[in-house]
Parts: sequence; structure tokens; C-alpha cells
Amino acid sequence: MVAKFLGLLPPPDPEAVARGQKTFVATCGFCHGTNARGGAGGPDLVRSVLVLHDEGKGDKIGPVILNGRPDKGMPKFNMTEAQIKDIAAFLLSRNQAAANRASYQIQNIVTGDPKAGHAYFSAHCASCHAEGDLAHIASKFDPVALQNLFLYPRQHRWPGMPGPPPDPRTETTATVTLPSGESVSGILVHIDDFNVSLKDSSGEYHSWTLGDGSGVTVKVHNPLEGHIELLPKYTNADMHNILAYLETMK
Amino acid sequence: MIARTALFSVVLACAPAFTADGLLPAKLLSPPTDTWPTYNGDYSGRRHSPLTQINAENVKNLGLAWAYRIQTGPTGGGMEAFFASEIKSTPLEVDGVLYFTVPDHAWAIDARTGRQLWHYHWNSKGGIHIGNRGVGIWGNWVFFETPDDHLVSLEKDTGKFRWAVEIADLAQEYFSTPAPLVIGNHIIVGVGGDSLDVPGFLEARDPETGQVQWHWNTEPKPGEPGSETWPNADSMAHGGGMTWIPGTYDPELNLIYWGIGNPNPVHAGQGRKGDDLYTCSIVALNPDTGKLVWAYQVSPHDTHDYDAVQTPVLFDGQIDGHPRKLLAQASRNGYFFVLDRTNGQHIVTAPYIDLTWSKGLNAKGQPIPNPAKEPQPDGALVSPASDGATNWPPPSFDPDTGLFYVNAMQSWSVFYLTDTGEHPEGFAGRDSGVWSQSALKAIDYKTGKVRWSHPYPNQDSGFTGVLTTAGKLLFTGDPSGNLIAFDPATGAILWHAGMTAPLSNGPMTYQLDGRQYVVVGAGDTLYAFALNR
Repeated sequence: MVAKFLGLLPPPDPEAVARGQKTFVATCGFCHGTNARGGAGGPDLVRSVLVLHDEGKGDKIGPVILNGRPDKGMPKFNMTEAQIKDIAAFLLSRNQAAANRASYQIQNIVTGDPKAGHAYFSAHCASCHAEGDLAHIASKFDPVALQNLFLYPRQHRWPGMPGPPPDPRTETTATVTLPSGESVSGILVHIDDFNVSLKDSSGEYHSWTLGDGSGVTVKVHNPLEGHIELLPKYTNADMHNILAYLETMK
Repeated sequence: MIARTALFSVVLACAPAFTADGLLPAKLLSPPTDTWPTYNGDYSGRRHSPLTQINAENVKNLGLAWAYRIQTGPTGGGMEAFFASEIKSTPLEVDGVLYFTVPDHAWAIDARTGRQLWHYHWNSKGGIHIGNRGVGIWGNWVFFETPDDHLVSLEKDTGKFRWAVEIADLAQEYFSTPAPLVIGNHIIVGVGGDSLDVPGFLEARDPETGQVQWHWNTEPKPGEPGSETWPNADSMAHGGGMTWIPGTYDPELNLIYWGIGNPNPVHAGQGRKGDDLYTCSIVALNPDTGKLVWAYQVSPHDTHDYDAVQTPVLFDGQIDGHPRKLLAQASRNGYFFVLDRTNGQHIVTAPYIDLTWSKGLNAKGQPIPNPAKEPQPDGALVSPASDGATNWPPPSFDPDTGLFYVNAMQSWSVFYLTDTGEHPEGFAGRDSGVWSQSALKAIDYKTGKVRWSHPYPNQDSGFTGVLTTAGKLLFTGDPSGNLIAFDPATGAILWHAGMTAPLSNGPMTYQLDGRQYVVVGAGDTLYAFALNR
């Protein structure tokens, strides 16, 4: 979906890419680098304008391979049309690997000191969280997801984005008091300057108008407020230490 | 040039009277009243209307005059469809007709009734369809840019295709979103595209032929001034710096002002050590020659995608008791800047959110990046997130209150460096949003202090445009789909209306036959509000 949004071409055939990579590394890698990012005298081909216009077809890079560029010191290469097409597929895959930021792999992020993370947890988190609450948390989420979740345990989702239902303990609640003095509490569904709506404990939906002399008052309780307050206080080391500590809870 | 088809070129019988000269460039010099002739209403970028028919006393009687829902036909679905049908353009209003766009589409509708006059569809070859800011009009001709990097010209009164010229190379992942800015006989176009480390530029095009009048690269060539801020020729040839939001213009100084985008590779700075001019800068150019007159960089050596494209807003004010010609920007990096627009001299820098990426300011008032907050392989927690403290939606300056208004976001994100090599490419990193909340902020231009702030109660994020009027009103939208009129002096809410989607463009206003309209885009629908009769 992201590749389509980014306007990228359909990805090339992986087998052609693998064949092309083999030929490229053996024949072109010395000058252009084995990853095509440029090397001893040869330019970067990942963002080469000529290669980008080739679009994985081989019709633009073919003549350059077959004729060389004597003025720039590039020799001729005797290749078959199939070999050229495979190299074109490999270069397209390299181009897409750079252009498709959603495909980038995050490296190892469990770099902190679990003992220091434990100490931070005891000092800043233990007033709300018993250690047992978090048992096995590291086996439920990968490290990147876990790092984001401990920073703020409710993730923003685009409408319709897939994912598990929110943990009820993370839900914001609200108590609405009406002019009669009656009050209704529940999970906050929506609030803006003009309306509030919630679901009560039986799952029933209620909504009220705010302001304009309605006399309706709302008290909102976000159980994650403590997480927001910590965001300006963490150093990078604190964040990595806490993650390392949570990663001990497999 | 490729043949294109106008889907609906039907001009109905009671269309506005044909005007022989169309929109003369001189009209763009006057305050917007019966006409809204350019993206920001006038050249100043203030988005402040002198109209007062709708005002603080009677705004409670504001009601819907008409609504117009666009039909774009089948789209690719998914994220592409989500963005491609969102109205991010500010309509232009000329001779009683509104002209606006979404990617690949342009419309003309009757400004009094919302009735469609024509619809034009460009058959796109591709490109990122994230948004389009609208049209420019010169004489009887409409100009807009496309995701596949063409400048398209149509006949204003019929929507009939005149010509299209390529302005950038789609294969290099350029895509084009700005509304062209018309100055004299120059159609000034900018570009976007940050996937593959291509250089940004601005161009002036001829309104008759579309040919290039001048071309200005946002990065210097080796040996030119500014080249000392890059390590080598390769880095500055692949340095990014897009020009994707329309700029502003001072006709007396004859200078255009443009905000320049972030450097490339986006999140990896190791291959481009130095300040990386003129990325993340506000630049002043001569509109007739494209020559750089001055530049001020608001984010030296950016690694957080904090492009500085936000509208450079022009107004005159008093600084330490002296009248000054000023330029203000609420920048994506979380700082508010005021400069002397005659020479780029720095006057004010002040944060308008709580931010952590910078260690403080240097002698020229520029933020100093904190290396510990640059993207790291194991993550760096930073405020603001890559979406920024604000983004493209236009702010407003109200000369009556002396306040600059912007919808701002407090946000946190973890920035990861994914490519630690010496020669990174593309984004070379990712950021993962943690938490955010939006607020409307009113900033005192003399000090940069936030005079008042209205946080939106819904903890959801969003950026929306702002309009102020001499009727002592400020119009903007919250993240929940309400159009709201605020008292610009105090931040008190005076009126609101619920819409089917959050405000997605900059509100605009005009008066025709003695009736003032406020027109906003929300998702795929334009809404026009006027006083109930």
C-alpha cells in the first residue's frame, strides 16, 4: 500500500533480481560498488537518472553496457539481452529499496542496561505498575513496538487501520454531570468543544451537547497521563534502559 | 505534450459574463474583497480579509449557503484514495467563479450557488497523490501542477485544455503539489519529492508558452556561496530542499519569499556534514531574474524532516519603537521567526511548543541542533515528531490584534537511523509517532510569546488552516470536523458548525452582490457559509 502511495513501479521478479545481483557484483561491482551505490571510479546507479528512466526494462542501460563509455573509462561488456534484463531488475530493486521508506529495517534497539532500566522503573513507574503486571510483555511485542508502547500505550491509528482492540486499562474515561445533578460515567468515545459522548458499563452509547448554556460538565480521566508527563523527562539512555529491562520479561 | 480530455466542459447559460482581460496581475496587489485572486488571497500571505459584513456581533447568524461535493471517479483505493479526494487547495475566486483542485482534477463552480461550471481531469502517469494546493490565474488562463510534474494550462471560462509542459522528472520521484504563484508575467512553480535525494528548485514559466524564464536551484553548485556548507559536490547535487508550498511577494521591494524544504537524505546527516544551505531556509529572490537576494536558515543541518516551507507571512510592524518591514514564519521545527524582509536580518526566534531537538540559539537566532537528538540506530525520543509543530496548512496574521495565528501540535516521536553507512540514500531512517495534541495558538510578533492558546479537547492530531477578518473573527477547524469562529483577541469561541470531515484547507472569503461568503474545504466537500437572510 505504501509503495503504491509512493508512486513506485511494481517490484521486479525476485529471481531476476537474484540473477542480476550475481552478474552485477561479479562484473560491475568493482567500479559501481557491490550495492550499486558507487565505488572505485563508477557513479552511484541507485539514483542515476539514466537507470531511473530504464525502469527495470534494460532498454536504456543495455546500450551503455554493450558499448561502454570510453570517454569516461567504462569498457564494453559482452552480455546477453537476458543478462542485461536481470541487471536492470536488480537496479530497480536497489532503487526501490532506497525510495520505499516503509521497507527500511530498524536495527537492534535493545542496547540499554536492564539493571539501570529496572532502577528507573522502580523510581518512576512502580507507583502505578506492579512488576508482575508486565510479565511476558516482551514475548507479545517486538522491541520497536514495545518501545513505542511503553512510551505511550495507546497507538494512533488511521481510520480502518487493522490491529487488536485497545486494552481496556488504557481507555480514557469521563464523568458527565447534567444540570439535574445526575451523572453518567463510562469510556470516552469522543469529545470536542461542543459535544461529548461515552459508552457506559453496559455498553450503551450516550452523547450530550456542551456549552451554549447546556449546563453539562465533563471530567475526563486519562489513565495514561503519567506516560505523557514522563515524555519530556526521558533521556535516550533512560528509554533504552527501560526497553532492555522490559526485554527481560519474555 | 499528450492529449488530455476535459470531462465536463459545459458552460451553462447563466455563467458569469465573459471578461475580455480576465484576471489582470495588478488585481493581485489589492486586498481581497470581491475577488480572492491567489492562494493566500493576496501576496502578503496574511490571509486577512478586510471584509466586515460577517462580524463578531452577527456571526451567530452564520448559516450554510451551499455545499459542493467533488466527484473524481474511480481511484486506486487505500491511502491513495484517502488523500487524492481531499480538498487541500484554497479556491481562487474571480468574477464570481471559484477555481480549485485535488490531485489531477480542477473545477470551476459558481461562487454564489456552488453550481459546477466545468471539471477537468488530467490523465496522470503516476506520482505521489498526497495533495494539491490549487490554481494560479493569469488573464483568461488557469494553471495548476500535477502529481506527475506537469504544469497544465486551461481556458478559465471553459476548462478547455491549452497546453501542458513537464516541469520535473517523475522517474526521479519528483511530484508537484503547489499552487502556481502569478507575479507579473511570471508563473512561478515549485516541486516536491524526497524519496531519492533529488535537488529542489523554483522556476518561472511563461504564461503564453510555458517555457522556462528562470530556474533557481535550492542548493549551490561547487564554488558558489553556500557550497562551503556541504562536504562535497555529490552531497549538494542530491541535497533535497523542495519548494512545495506557494511563497509570498512584496511588490515594493520586488522580492519573492519562499520556504525551502528539508535536506536529503532525510534522516541521515553523516553524508552531508555542515549546515546544508539553502535547505530549511527562508529565501528572498528577485522574481524577474530568479537571483537570490538573501537567505536565512531556520534549521541548520536538519535530520528530522522539519522542512521550512511554511508560508513566510509579510506585514509591517513596530520593533523597539521603529517601523519595520517584517516577515514571520511559524516553522515546522517548533520555532517562530521574525525577520526584516528587506535584508533577512534576524529579529525574533521563540519556540511555540515545548521542543527538544535544539540546544539553544546561536548569535543569529538560529537553533543549534542537539546531536543526541538526531536519529539513532536504537532510537532518539524527540519533540516535535517529523510532522512538525505545524505543517503546510496556512497560518494568518491579523493587523488589528498584532497576533500571528497557527494550529500547532505538541508531539513526540522516536527517530531511528536505519542506514549508518557513509553513503546513505533516500530517507535512511524512520520515525515512529508516540503522542500528539493540537492547539490553536496566538503569537505576539514582537516577542514570539504565545498570547493565548486553545487546546482542542480531543487528543487527536491534525493541522488546519486559519483565516482572520476585519470583522474581528478568526475561522479555523478543529480535528473533530468543526468549523469554528474565534474572537482573535481572546480566543473565545463565538460560533461553530459541524462538517462531515475535518477542515482540510485554508478558509477563504469574498463578497458578491453585497453578500459575504466564507468558503472552506472539508474532505471531499466545499462548504460556503453566509449570514442567514
